[in-house]
Amino acid sequence: MGQAAIRLENVSRVYPGGIRALDGVSLHIEQGEWVAVMGPSGSGKTTLLNLLDGLDKPTAGRVLVLGTDLGRLDPDEAATFRREKIGLIFQGFHFVPYLTALENVMLAQYYHSIVDKKQACAILERLGMADRTHHLPSQLSGGEQQRVCIARALVNEPQVVLADEPTGNLDERNEAEVMNIFRDLHLEGKTILMVTHNHDIGRRSGSQVLLNHGRIVRQRFTA
Amino acid sequence: MLLRILARSLARRRSRKLLAVLTIWVGMTLVVALITLSLDVRDKINRELSAFGANIRVEPSAGAVPVRVGGYELAPRIGQIYLNEGQMEKLETLFWRNNILGVFLRLWVQVRVDGRDVPLLGIGAPHGSAAAGSVSFTPDSLKGYGHWHVKGAWPQADDECLVGVDAARELGLTPGEWVRLTLAGRTRSLRVRGIVVTGEREDGALIASLSTVQDFAGLPQKISEADVSTLTTPENKLAEKYRLDPTSLTPAEYERWSCTPYPGSVAAAIQEAIGGSAARVVRRVSETQGAVLIRMEGLMTILGGLTAVVCCLSVIGVLTSAVLERRSEVALLQAIGAHRRDVLLLFSCESAALGLLGGALAAVSGPVLGQGLVNAVFGGEAGSLGVLAILSPLLGLIVAWVACLWPVSQVLHQSTAQVLHGN
Repeated sequence: MGQAAIRLENVSRVYPGGIRALDGVSLHIEQGEWVAVMGPSGSGKTTLLNLLDGLDKPTAGRVLVLGTDLGRLDPDEAATFRREKIGLIFQGFHFVPYLTALENVMLAQYYHSIVDKKQACAILERLGMADRTHHLPSQLSGGEQQRVCIARALVNEPQVVLADEPTGNLDERNEAEVMNIFRDLHLEGKTILMVTHNHDIGRRSGSQVLLNHGRIVRQRFTA
Repeated sequence: MLLRILARSLARRRSRKLLAVLTIWVGMTLVVALITLSLDVRDKINRELSAFGANIRVEPSAGAVPVRVGGYELAPRIGQIYLNEGQMEKLETLFWRNNILGVFLRLWVQVRVDGRDVPLLGIGAPHGSAAAGSVSFTPDSLKGYGHWHVKGAWPQADDECLVGVDAARELGLTPGEWVRLTLAGRTRSLRVRGIVVTGEREDGALIASLSTVQDFAGLPQKISEADVSTLTTPENKLAEKYRLDPTSLTPAEYERWSCTPYPGSVAAAIQEAIGGSAARVVRRVSETQGAVLIRMEGLMTILGGLTAVVCCLSVIGVLTSAVLERRSEVALLQAIGAHRRDVLLLFSCESAALGLLGGALAAVSGPVLGQGLVNAVFGGEAGSLGVLAILSPLLGLIVAWVACLWPVSQVLHQSTAQVLHGN
């Protein structure tokens, strides 16, 4: 077994009202792995992702990402950890609406360390957005917005990429393009955890984890 | 990057930003106007109250026998020692000369009327005033006696007089009659123009112009006392401490006392300037002035404070909806690594810009409204206060900061995960 990028030790998350979103989940993901977490709605996929990016804390158990116990971090420490180690890709994209595509990417640099316009342009160019850098998010298509979102997640060269339904709002063509980007990232050695309810998308990752009612019901390695 | 975000953010949703600026502008205009009014109210009220008598009396020191009861200095008996009118010019050299609103000279002599001893009071304005060289009653010489109630008319000429209400009853005098005075073998007749009620010792006296009494008594340029109407600060614990025991003040306290225009410190400065004189505070007047001023200033402070609070609440209302509608933006910033202080800095800078703009506008409109209020209430000009040009934007800044604290703290405590997932 190689060095763990992500390790969950008997993790549970119970919301107020007794809703048990995760129930004793244990998981080991090695560095450089590409894992798809799948399951129906309400299976605990998003809760798992929120625990991994430090936006939520487990009720029980430990969540370790790159050796750091995220449950022990306060909100600012968790923010520091995210900006230095993790790239987040959202299903709903989420942008600062009054900043251009380039500025939204540069915003991630600003909170990470220093703003490097050249580097931000380069990553947008790599994702085929060279001619859309000065457009506002509202002026971009769904596929373009997702590519800007990926550029923002990758600009600080994170070791772990967490993606929440990265193709959920995209058409077939854009879906394929985004998956190609993920394949390239995987080949570069990034650890990727991707939440999806789409089994076809999930099968393109290196391994799949199937969640149901807050528990891992199946774990499969494809390659 | 922060400046870029700020510029873009401020340029967005302009109507909401303008509403916030407008709210701060209107609120700060009221606050600045009330400050203008309250800073002017002391001077204006003091001037209004000066009509109810002078608050400092200057007498020859040899004639002033200080008698203290419970810390209050009582009035001495009238003596046959006089001050010279010319000594009053020393008041022009006083540190507090700009606080002097009026000087009223008085000469008391005892005359006989119909075989009775009756006090005769001469009143007039000093040389150098608007009444200089005049021998008659003038508005200048009478304005310190606005609290006297005259039945009939004020004297207009040197051969006219007022009669105190008690003296008029004893002597059976009515307006229009002539009264014949005798003093050291000299006689003089004066026509009674009015009967005066003062509530003081003048009720038992005849009152004529100062020059008439000086001529009649053979006391040219002599006065028994001078009433000085001054702009003063209401007494506080320090002034009271000095009044009860002047030696109890530390050097620092004495310095502070002597550099503040308390009635006592102004009286002490007058006494020091006019050789051979004793200046004492007329408590009845100064305490009334002090009480009125304290109440007025308290009222203005409460009004100003309430206005600032109402303004703050209004701005909170505007900024709350402006901040809360950006919850997902804040959640995004935190998700990509912004600390709480980064978010606070962003909103503080935005609020500061709105507050400074609203406050800067109020720095122009506030004094104009303040001038209007001063004019409406007191009918005069308000003093110009350059400090308001700095104070107003500063107040706007503080109000905007205070107003943004609550909504920003709300979004900082939101669940970032829930907001990002649309819950």
